[in-house]
Amino acid sequence: MFVLSIQDPQNAGPAPQPQVDAYGQLSKLASTFHDVDGLFYFTYAVCIFFFVLILGVLLFSVVKYRRKTEDQPAASNVTHNTPLEVVWTVIPLIIVMVMFAWGYKGADQMVDVPKEAARNAYKAMAKQWSWTFTYPDGSVSYGDVWVEKDKPVQFYLQSSDVLHAFYVPSMRVKRDVIPGRMQTVWFQPTEEGIYHLFCAEYCGNDHSKMYARVHVVSSAEFKKRPWDDFDDSTPELAAKSGESLYSRNCAVCHSVDGTPLVGPSWKGLFVKGEGDTIVGAKRTVIEGGATKEITVDDAYVLESVRTPAQKLVATHPNGGMSSFGPELIDDRRVKAIVTYMKSLASK
Amino acid sequence: MSHDGHHSVVIPAPGPEFVPHTVAHHFDTPVQEFQAAKLGFWLFLATEILLFGGLFAAYFYYHETYAETFRVGGQQLDWQLGAVNTTVLLLSSWTMAMGVRSAQTSQKGKTLLFLGLTVLGALIFLGIKYVEYSAKNQHGLIVFSHLFDGYDQANKQLPWFQDYGGVMKDVPHGHLFFAIYLTMTAIHGLHVVIGAGLIIWVMKGAAKGRFHAGYFLPVDLVGLYWHLVDLIWIFLFPLLYLVP
Amino acid sequence: MTTNIPAIDQHAAPTGGSTNYLNNTSGFWSWASTLDHKRIGLMYLVGTTLAFLAGGLFALLVRVHLWEPDGMLFDNPTYNQVFTLHGAFMVFLFVIPAIPGSLGNMVLPLMLGAKDVALPRLNLLSFYLWLTGAVLATLAIILGGFDTGWTFYAPYSLYTQKAVVTIGLAVFVLGFSSIFTGLNFIVTVHKLRAPGLTWFRMPLFVWALYATSILQVLATPVLGITVLLVAFERLYQVGIFDPRLGGDPVLFEHFFWFYSHPAVYIMVLPAFGIISELVSVHSRKPLFGYKLIAFSSLAIAVISFLVWGHHMFTSGQSTFAMFAFSFLTFFVAIPTAIKEFSWVATIWKGSIALNAPMLYTLAFLIIFAIGGLTGVILGSLSVNIHMHDTYFVVAHFHYVMMGSIALAFFAGLHHWWPKMFGVMYDETIAKIACGIIFVGFNATFLPQFIMGSRGMPRRYATYVPDFQVFHQASTVGAVILGVGIALMVYCFVVSLFQGKKAMVNQWGGVTLDWLTPTPPPLENFHEAPVVTTEVYDYSTLDLSTTRTPIA
Ligand code: HEA
Ligand code: HEA
Ligand code: HEC
Ligand code: CUA
Ligand SMILES: [Cu+2]
Repeated sequence: MFVLSIQDPQNAGPAPQPQVDAYGQLSKLASTFHDVDGLFYFTYAVCIFFFVLILGVLLFSVVKYRRKTEDQPAASNVTHNTPLEVVWTVIPLIIVMVMFAWGYKGADQMVDVPKEAARNAYKAMAKQWSWTFTYPDGSVSYGDVWVEKDKPVQFYLQSSDVLHAFYVPSMRVKRDVIPGRMQTVWFQPTEEGIYHLFCAEYCGNDHSKMYARVHVVSSAEFKKRPWDDFDDSTPELAAKSGESLYSRNCAVCHSVDGTPLVGPSWKGLFVKGEGDTIVGAKRTVIEGGATKEITVDDAYVLESVRTPAQKLVATHPNGGMSSFGPELIDDRRVKAIVTYMKSLASK
Repeated sequence: MSHDGHHSVVIPAPGPEFVPHTVAHHFDTPVQEFQAAKLGFWLFLATEILLFGGLFAAYFYYHETYAETFRVGGQQLDWQLGAVNTTVLLLSSWTMAMGVRSAQTSQKGKTLLFLGLTVLGALIFLGIKYVEYSAKNQHGLIVFSHLFDGYDQANKQLPWFQDYGGVMKDVPHGHLFFAIYLTMTAIHGLHVVIGAGLIIWVMKGAAKGRFHAGYFLPVDLVGLYWHLVDLIWIFLFPLLYLVP
Repeated sequence: MTTNIPAIDQHAAPTGGSTNYLNNTSGFWSWASTLDHKRIGLMYLVGTTLAFLAGGLFALLVRVHLWEPDGMLFDNPTYNQVFTLHGAFMVFLFVIPAIPGSLGNMVLPLMLGAKDVALPRLNLLSFYLWLTGAVLATLAIILGGFDTGWTFYAPYSLYTQKAVVTIGLAVFVLGFSSIFTGLNFIVTVHKLRAPGLTWFRMPLFVWALYATSILQVLATPVLGITVLLVAFERLYQVGIFDPRLGGDPVLFEHFFWFYSHPAVYIMVLPAFGIISELVSVHSRKPLFGYKLIAFSSLAIAVISFLVWGHHMFTSGQSTFAMFAFSFLTFFVAIPTAIKEFSWVATIWKGSIALNAPMLYTLAFLIIFAIGGLTGVILGSLSVNIHMHDTYFVVAHFHYVMMGSIALAFFAGLHHWWPKMFGVMYDETIAKIACGIIFVGFNATFLPQFIMGSRGMPRRYATYVPDFQVFHQASTVGAVILGVGIALMVYCFVVSLFQGKKAMVNQWGGVTLDWLTPTPPPLENFHEAPVVTTEVYDYSTLDLSTTRTPIA
């Protein structure tokens, strides 16, 4: 299955349904940008009209005026017909001017960010090859993003490497994400559902896997902060949530397989003792200039998170970890991380 | 009009020290040949101007974006040397024109002399350019030995731009001015070298007596090329050395 | 259009047996160092056709890979290289040089009544530059390939560890090849027209090539400097396009499209020229609105310099820029609409011969209407924002580049084949091939319009399963298309060995190219032609020449 095999959304929920209107050629429209659809179907009709016209004249001519004898001359040698030429210049001109005005109107609406949207501003950080979303309240989600139905929303788009593009077909919005520039896009979702979010600007190897999903939910649902997937109701779920917190916050510096990174690896932090009990390892730490021996436990981890410099691991006498306050990771979450650490314990 | 195209028109030589010119087989008259080549060459010059046009567009774009950088950067260049070089090129344009004139009037010796002087101008220009480049090198503004070293990802540094004197440290992206300076003047310098080569090639023909009042097309065209090289410098000089 | 060539010259073999440009000298060197525009044209024909087949092979790989949502053949980086190679080969090695290089070189001096192009040595140089470009492009594949897309957008093209410098060099060299061809044609048209051949007696193929040449000369240098800057950027970090160094990647887009939008008309105008020629000859009727068609080519050439921004509607332009670029984009559609209608009106009440070149021409008229009109859809601002960088765009440009230009090229090949080689291909096979190509083409690209408008982004090695059925339809179409093209190539090759002798004036054309001996001798005309009648005047046609095989 695409969703599971290719990307790793935060909440492996149901895959988006195919987003096609029952009647139409475009993907389902779920925002207020109706002009795109109106104009598209108008031009579509114009195209079909001219196409049929040209095809008809050609077919008719080929049947009627086909050369039957070698020396058959043309049925007419007319090379000018000024009224006709004026007609086929002016009519297309009028049609394209309608298209121009209509298209401009629609695009203008897209560029002009309304106040309500500006007050509901998200940040979308694009990097090869994933999306990170920051909500107006500062919380963060990866791969998936939740927005409230009917509430205009604005996204500030930033890239940390190359060009990308933020494309949600059902919202009819697309905007290139340009390193070194701040781009922005807004829309007002009108229907609940899960929608594709593609990267539409070629950005290298996994461009096609730079996928995310937009969840449009009711405001009641939104208040539950569904992007916040933290759950410690059972030890298994707690370990899972802990792992997810680890991968987002700690993995840059701590490996779990022994690889030395900026900080010490978490491998062997907890070990399996007799009878499958899990015990903390011994550590030599420096506290206030003095070296001492301690045993790793929940409190030590909590302390390491809140005030890392309090007890420095002897192998890292210069420290290097910044502290994580309760506003970033509360005690329950640290506990979940510890649960995860313990789940790594081996003999 | 030649009927089978196998015997072509020949322009006689005006004197024993010259050789006659045979009009290319697919042309009917020497005038046609001359005009065709001339038109073609003007079109070529247009493409050259457009090529530099791209560079000028980049220049103006970044001048607009980083005005301060460009102002400070321009002050690091030696406008006096630039002015000398401008004069040298202008003079060489004049000698080139005289060279063409001498060819048109079948003055073989003078043709060679003036073309030779033009080459000399080119050499002086390149010599001065060399002096300027090495001065930049000494100040670390363009470190030639590290030109192709690649961006240093870890230290976020450009090896070719060291700025020993720290003159550009207060402006954003100090290297940009010198990058554009180097790119523009190097491509221009390449044109100077090519131009000088062409002139030497024409001199060889002139020595053999190929160019005279009846046929001086190559001299004329190389002359046009040289004037273009000069013209481009006329724009480069104020833009780079006397940043507005 | 008649000339002072005595009628007898057209029937009887020229004195001295049937020497012509193909057999007057022989040996590898006589071709490799030839200055004859016709031989250079043939060399271009072979080269660009091989490039097309190579590009087509890459296209087939792309299509087969996309059969499954997760991809069938490659990992992602490899897929990216394959589609880039496809685009780059098709654009730089095939579609830009193909028609001017091969048919243009072959026919333009003939149509003007000239002995050669004005600057034959430059012409040969153009060909060798093309060859150098082709070698460099192939070298780039060997040196690790390149995966930037044919657009080389910065900053990705600056960071990716592939042979971007080599392919940049290739594009630079190919650019100069193209410039020199254009320059040569302009001079030739200005200086080498036969006596009596006034501007408004020139065949429209010549007008089209003339307008193309102006574009080539004026737009290509900007591409040259752009790829040069990318190369510098990679070699010594200039910082002009690199945002890490204060550069602006959007500036690159401006540079690129300033060339590449006019480039699409560099590609299409020669195709228009071929179609203008063919509708007239095969309907045996003067072109409807000759002057309007000639002028509209020039109008397109001029306006096309002002619309490049329509490729960048989503990259954060000012509202005013969007406004202007969209407006001008619609404007450029009008001269094209005039052409389309004039061609249709020429066919109307003509004496229509349904031979292979005419079938290709009809296919062109139908496909180009779709391709052009979808371009107009893309020019509408709000719709563009939804469609940009989706398969809708891919389908649009294949309708114009493959369905229109390549088909016009095939049409022209069928049309001038007897002139070039003195032999006729098997018309039945040629018509069948045309039918297969038409069906296969539409089957390939119509589904792409649908998936594009439903949001399928382009340059995707893998995709969401929603789109699978369209991808599969497209792949089936591509295979049919491949079979059709293979059949067409087969038909041509066989004709060289077993083809019947062509007629002296195979289709009954009245432009000078049909009044030279077939195949033409070294300097094209035994007697220098003088033009005394208006262009496309079929009352002067000597019907016996269309029935007499060449000697
Ligand atoms: C030879 C090639 C060719 C030609 C001829 C055209 C012709 C046109 N193109 Fe196309 N185009 C490309 C090649 C071409 N294009 C390529 C390669 C790309 C993508 C590049 C990339 O990103 O990789 C592209 C992309 C492209 C875009 C950007 C899409 C995007 O990426 O967002 C746009 C937007 O305006 C556009 C518009 C047009 C228009 C208005 C025309 C017009 O000139 C068409 C005019 C023709 C007609 C109008 C049809 C005939 C007339 C009638 C049938 C009569 C009736 C007419 C009316 C009522 C108007 N093109
Ligand atoms: C002139 C230009 C040209 C032409 C003629 C074509 C022709 C074709 N193109 Fe191409 N295409 C481009 C120019 C062109 N293309 C460009 C510029 C891009 C954008 C690249 C980018 O994004 O950077 C592109 C991108 C592109 C894509 C999108 C890739 C992506 O975005 O991921 C696809 C996908 O279907 C595609 C398909 C095809 C097909 C099926 C053909 C067919 O028409 C090909 C027909 C030819 C053959 C089929 C081969 C010939 C036959 C043989 C070799 C005989 C043997 C074969 C058999 C017997 C089966 N092209
Ligand atoms: C910027 C790098 C960095 C980040 C991010 C980081 N750490 Fe650390 N961490 C270190 C360094 C360096 C040390 C060793 C010095 C010390 O003890 O303070 C360390 C030590 C620790 C220790 C003690 C390890 C031992 O072997 O005794 C624990 C526990 C710890 N970190 C937990 C965490 C948790 C939990 C997070 C995420 C919420 C985290 N760290 C994020 C750099 C980091
Ligand atoms: Cu990110 Cu494509
Ligand atoms: Cu365009």
